[in-house]
Amino acid sequence: MSFQIDCPNCGCRPVWEYHYGGTPRQRPDGSATERQWAEYLYNRPNIAGEQTEWWYHRSACKLWFLVRRDTRTNQVLETKRFASATE
Amino acid sequence: MTSESGTTQPESIEFEFDGHRVHAESGQSVAGALHAAGEHIVSRSFKYHRPRGLLCMSGRCPNCICTVDGTPNVRICTQAAKPGMVVKSQNAWPSVKFDLLRIFDKLHRFMPVGFYYKRMYKPRWMWPVWEKFIRRIAGLGTINREHGAEGVYDKQNLFTDVAVIGGGLAGLNAALAAADAGVTVTLIDEQSELGGHLRHDPDLAESIISRNALASGSSASQPDASAFRLISLSDLIRRVSEHPAITVISSAGVFGCYEGNYLGIQQGQRMIRLRAAQVIVATGCWERPLVFENNDLPGVMLASGAQRLLHLDHCQFPGEAVVVTDNAQGYRVANQLKAAGTRITAIVDVRDNPPESADGIRTFRGHTIISANGSRHVSGAVIAPLAGHPKQTLSCRWIVQAVGFTPANSLLYQNGCKLRYDESVDQAVVIQHVPSMYSAGAVNALHDPRDAALDGQHAGLAAAESLRSPRLCGETEPSIAEATQRRGERKEDSVPSCHYVSPSGAKKKFVCLCEDVTEKDICDAIDEGYSNIETLKRYSTVSMGPCQGKMCQSASIAICARHNGQSIAETGVTTARPPEQPLPLGVLAGRALHFSLVRRTPMNAWHEKAGAKMGDAGNWKRPQVYSSVDQEYEAVRQRAGVIDVSTLGKIELRGADVVKFLEFIYPNRFANLKVGRVRYGVICDDAGILLDDGTIARLGDDRFFLTTTTGNADAIDSWFRWWLAGRPEWDVRMTNVSGSYAAMNLAGPRSREVLKKLTDADLSSDVMPYLAASECQIAGVSAIVLRIGFVGELGYEIHVPSQFGLHVWEAILEAGREFSISPFGLEAQRVLRLEKKHLLPGIDTDALSNPLEADLPWIVKLDKDDFIGKESLARAQQRGDRNKLVGFRLSEFVVPDLASLVLCDGKLGGRITSCGYSPAVGGTIGLAWVPANLARNGETIQIQVNGRMIPAVVQDEPFYDPSGSKLKS
Repeated sequence: MSFQIDCPNCGCRPVWEYHYGGTPRQRPDGSATERQWAEYLYNRPNIAGEQTEWWYHRSACKLWFLVRRDTRTNQVLETKRFASATE
Repeated sequence: MTSESGTTQPESIEFEFDGHRVHAESGQSVAGALHAAGEHIVSRSFKYHRPRGLLCMSGRCPNCICTVDGTPNVRICTQAAKPGMVVKSQNAWPSVKFDLLRIFDKLHRFMPVGFYYKRMYKPRWMWPVWEKFIRRIAGLGTINREHGAEGVYDKQNLFTDVAVIGGGLAGLNAALAAADAGVTVTLIDEQSELGGHLRHDPDLAESIISRNALASGSSASQPDASAFRLISLSDLIRRVSEHPAITVISSAGVFGCYEGNYLGIQQGQRMIRLRAAQVIVATGCWERPLVFENNDLPGVMLASGAQRLLHLDHCQFPGEAVVVTDNAQGYRVANQLKAAGTRITAIVDVRDNPPESADGIRTFRGHTIISANGSRHVSGAVIAPLAGHPKQTLSCRWIVQAVGFTPANSLLYQNGCKLRYDESVDQAVVIQHVPSMYSAGAVNALHDPRDAALDGQHAGLAAAESLRSPRLCGETEPSIAEATQRRGERKEDSVPSCHYVSPSGAKKKFVCLCEDVTEKDICDAIDEGYSNIETLKRYSTVSMGPCQGKMCQSASIAICARHNGQSIAETGVTTARPPEQPLPLGVLAGRALHFSLVRRTPMNAWHEKAGAKMGDAGNWKRPQVYSSVDQEYEAVRQRAGVIDVSTLGKIELRGADVVKFLEFIYPNRFANLKVGRVRYGVICDDAGILLDDGTIARLGDDRFFLTTTTGNADAIDSWFRWWLAGRPEWDVRMTNVSGSYAAMNLAGPRSREVLKKLTDADLSSDVMPYLAASECQIAGVSAIVLRIGFVGELGYEIHVPSQFGLHVWEAILEAGREFSISPFGLEAQRVLRLEKKHLLPGIDTDALSNPLEADLPWIVKLDKDDFIGKESLARAQQRGDRNKLVGFRLSEFVVPDLASLVLCDGKLGGRITSCGYSPAVGGTIGLAWVPANLARNGETIQIQVNGRMIPAVVQDEPFYDPSGSKLKS
């Protein structure tokens, strides 16, 4: 892995400055069944293609932000702050 | 050396080859010197131990691999001769000239393709014998364990706008065009001097200049080319070398092109990692050998290899030569050899009506070579018309083959470019580039110097242009369209040369020189079912040797296609992966001293001066012990001690929603934490797994000061930020102040008296009881003081701005002198905390530990609103404990290794996570995970120590001061 990610704060930096945080998922609330909790805790999607995921700029500005990436080519298609994602 | 006349003579160098002295001229390669000295056998082949001589002279084929000054597997054709060098041939016994293992050449019937899958596994008991034998005879050079590499292996990181790979005509033009367009360029070239193959093809180099004159005279016919100017090679090299925006990295190979245009480059013992915004691959081609009988004999050479020997190493080819060709290069090399004094017996041209002709040289048209005669060196060539008959033998000492090229396109494949085999030019060409990658020149099948130069200029301009306006993925780059158009124009004079496999014969016809794979082996493998090019490669090992297919790729694909009755395009190619060329492991492993982070606390110099034994804790350096663990232990328990805990993670939280946030993050309750109090807490994930522990101090209504363990400081920082990132509406402002504060833990029964000397604050137990948090002045410095007791004594954790860390540390030691205070290190702290049964996350817990089972059930408040891990912990509580972390006292006077097993009824029950000698107990104590049914006070468990079972007693209470009276005093 040697691709680069465009941090919304710092700009284009190599991937080893970052830390992967998985795809955004809805955390179940207290009423969820055991099966729903197990799904949330232990199962992860494994998409061959475009997906949105959390990344953390651990070696620099410490921002958690969203990245749209093609998992087949590691091409980064878009990066954005979480707040702007909900707009 | 200067002669009497005053002119500079080439300096004479002497080196050793297999015990003989060999003379070389300054600048000559080792292989060139051996050729001049008449040493034509330089190695023995991998499997059959056949004699092998120089072939490519460009560092690609495996034939000249030797051990140089103790370093195995060096290609001596690209290694400059140096005085006193010791060169030894490999893979031969007793010598390369007379190799007894040549017997394998006669035993080939017993070693068919894939013989190691078919032989030597029955009977089973014979295998160890075979293995020993195979290990002795197989493989290439031997590593000399006594001989270390000269100097160091190093790493370098570089950045550039445009990286141009290849310093030939296309690469030079690309570099110049891009640099003139205003971007920075790095040009990487594998040779010691720029110029590509024109360095050893002077006639071709001259033709550029003449064509240049021609082109400028008739520029009207090519209006779009008027923007470009062709200049002579020497001018071009001078302009590139002098250009301020161009950096040239010579004698360097790009071994990999990774995602994001990240290039791995080997230059001697250095690995350069180059990040480029745009990459232009102008790697050109390498010449391919012909497949005919005995085509591996010394004396059979590639035309470019012969040219390199002639023009770069100033060697000659005494005697007669036969040139086999299907292109203009064959005629050029024949003329060059003739000019150097070689008698050309004949040119054998596979074409019926070639456009070229050679004055005064006999030419056989529509003919090809069938066989090379000779046993240790070429003595003749058997040629025949393409049909195979009638044969005739020509006497010669050299067979020079000029039969076309294989494009050096593996970097393009590696990075995901799409290529397709184009029959009209007999090579694979790019049909789709990946973004920010271009190709130019011969790798695009543009072999004509003028085309290559223009293609390079185009690619250079396109790369510079796209830095200004990035192109979207999938859009066709102008350079492809250009190259396709230009190839179309040249179609009439390009010759499809699928003739590199001669008609069948009885003797061995080598396809892969590295692994001794013959044409018959490939056909046999296909007959055995390995007809796909990828399985064929793995089964026959064709293209898997040191040359990585550079010599055999074209021929193996052609034979595979022919034998399967498929086209070359249908047959495809094997997947290209890095490294593109063999790489010494030292280059990958080399030092990266400048890139590793070391963190030191503000008191570090003091520790070192005090003679502390320092140890690594993550990136930090921490004192393990100053003088003696026993003395440091005693100071803390009897008087006072102080330890540097600056490495703790420290986080400051402010805002109206901090309490809500803490209630959500921790299983503990925080709503009832009063200002001026501190609480111990653990952090879990949603699976209820214990991640870390630390303290949380409330310094104001909306202001909290948190600590984490040293090792998890960054992880918890990230963890907090992640949960906050999804909750932008929460008013929580977080500052990581880990590096801003130095911290020290002053502990021991006299610690209050010590601290009293340094502050006006009231430290009495009424005002500052156990678990109080206060902000006060210590030694004149604003400090956060937490009354906590990790080591089980009255103690104060003091946080001060890091620039005053050393000052406060020294003030405490000075104030404590009358109480015989002692600094203590991690080793003493480990014993002290173990006596209190305080766990260390990550040491006493793992990825399956929850706080209920880790003996911290009082922390988990399941009656709280939602918090991270609540659901899982609630279910874990319902289910009941399965294993528990318990303290134990060992019945014997030994200290077991960590992770020693706890056995129950002879079965594996658990393991110990911490243990040590406890002065307070007078015996060995520790922490262990045991099945829940054994986790009762007084229960006896069995611990395996050195194969013996030693009983230990489970103890609920801490081993020291169980009531906590000392802690709270």
